[in-house]
Amino acid sequence: MKTGLFSHFNRAGAWVLLMFLVTPALIAIPVSLTPKRFLSMPKGELSLRHFEKLFSSPEWMSSFFQSAVIGVSTALLATALGTLCAIGLWRVSSKYSEVVRAFLLLPLIIPQIISAMAFYRLWIPMGIIDSYIGLILAHTILATPMVLITVSASLANFDPKLEQASKNLGASNWTTMRRVILPSVKPGVFAGALFAFILSWDEIVVTLFISKFSVYTLPRRMWNGIRENTDPTVAAAAVVLIAITILAFAFSAYMSRRNASKDTA
Amino acid sequence: MFEANSDKGSLQVRDVSKFFGTFCAVNGVDLEIQRGEFLTLLGPSGSGKTTLLMMIAGFLDITSGDIALDGTSISGVPAEKRNFGMVFQGYALFPHMTVRDNIGYALSVRKRPEAEIREKVDEMLDLVQLVDFADRKPGQLSGGQQQRVALARALCFEPPVLLLDEPLGALDKKLRVEVQDQLKDIHKRVGTTFIYVTHDQEEALSMSDRIVIMRDGAIEQVGTPYELYEKPANEFAAGFLGKSNFLQRADGVYALRPEKIDIRASGTGEGEPRLSGTIQSITYFGSMQRIMFLTNGGEELEVDIDSWRNRDPLEEGQSADLYWDKGAAVKLEG
Repeated sequence: MKTGLFSHFNRAGAWVLLMFLVTPALIAIPVSLTPKRFLSMPKGELSLRHFEKLFSSPEWMSSFFQSAVIGVSTALLATALGTLCAIGLWRVSSKYSEVVRAFLLLPLIIPQIISAMAFYRLWIPMGIIDSYIGLILAHTILATPMVLITVSASLANFDPKLEQASKNLGASNWTTMRRVILPSVKPGVFAGALFAFILSWDEIVVTLFISKFSVYTLPRRMWNGIRENTDPTVAAAAVVLIAITILAFAFSAYMSRRNASKDTA
Repeated sequence: MFEANSDKGSLQVRDVSKFFGTFCAVNGVDLEIQRGEFLTLLGPSGSGKTTLLMMIAGFLDITSGDIALDGTSISGVPAEKRNFGMVFQGYALFPHMTVRDNIGYALSVRKRPEAEIREKVDEMLDLVQLVDFADRKPGQLSGGQQQRVALARALCFEPPVLLLDEPLGALDKKLRVEVQDQLKDIHKRVGTTFIYVTHDQEEALSMSDRIVIMRDGAIEQVGTPYELYEKPANEFAAGFLGKSNFLQRADGVYALRPEKIDIRASGTGEGEPRLSGTIQSITYFGSMQRIMFLTNGGEELEVDIDSWRNRDPLEEGQSADLYWDKGAAVKLEG
């Protein structure tokens, strides 16, 4: 009986902790359903008018589109770069490569506000401030270390004998890379791509510094929406943002599960 | 059926050494391997047998010396151009490919036509008796089945030489004996040169045409299993391959196998006993019994006798006499 009581407490504690972690994120859902014209909790009556406004507003839709383009481009670029970095460091694997690795992880360690300033100062003379290229490049620099980490983790589990076996069977370095190494680290590559996309998808600090008029991402529009007025459309946008993020994670979980079951069961 | 490269597959290892920094892993090894031979490199860990195999495969550079295939040097040829099959320790099967794709990999990277690959893989699946498993992934197979996939994959492109690095190490003992027979059978059918690395002396004895006993990077003795067991050259060879008693005599050291000694209760044997003494201990192993024997001269000997012969049981502490045939004790070199 004693253990039963203890496990009840344990379970209750876990739920409280979980609520503490997710409630701030979920608060946007009821707010987005308010029938009022300002940010408030709905009382009794629910309405989808803010969603309607969100999806019929050309500004909001353009921000969705821009965020998606920047997020996908960042994911592609960061995944390519990060995967190559990870494989290169894994292949060389000396004490110097560990120094290089630490160096490459710097963008994750440096406070984003510092990175943002650096990008701002650099992008102006380069003429790519307030442009797609500028944002994609900045987000790629921030996201590449994520991919480096996830692919390196996959490579740590890669059996180097597989590479020897491939060569022994007559495959060139390139064929070995394409047909043996890359498929083996695929879960790490997918996870890295997902993290890179999500990083770009809700990035605000750097974006505030290096975009102004011509590029207006979703987080940026939400930021302005909250600062300038208290339009609940922001909450509706937040719900959509969260939904897309959860969908992306669910998709990746499904993919990794399918991979795992294909390899073993 | 399977066409072996019957005109190819002899290998010459000439004065090959390998240094890792100042550490000498392989020291001046000379070896002539006949085509179609089943040759085993046998030695304890650290003896250099795997290093030698890796140099033959091309995964390690040689520090000095030369390795040649059918008289043509291959020392500068990279692993992917050597065309040697290899069965790795732990198999190294590609986990994301089916059994069929694993076996056909070598032909597929050689850009052979689809139909030819299919036919060849079917033939290999038949050879290793895995026809029903073609579409499974390696993770869905047992250890013994994975071992056979590795073998089929390494043989599929008809290599002149097949290298095997402790291929049975991961299998349990009963399965290992079964797979030994299959390996021997496949070797006979394909006629490829097999170079087999193991530290298991029973495996070496039961499968090989010739065995190379290695220690500290150098060859101790080369010969057929029969030659090595019956006429070991030195104490290491006699002690590593089977068990041996070593008798110090005025003219040198003699090796005497424990099972070649006959033991009788004191005074009950025929003729003059070779040695007399007392039984220290008897350990029962079912089919045989191991007797530790202390001679009156103070030498310790191990005697193995078949259990059925100990019907009038000898007991610990009893005095007894030892007999053996002329020639059973082999004089060692050096």
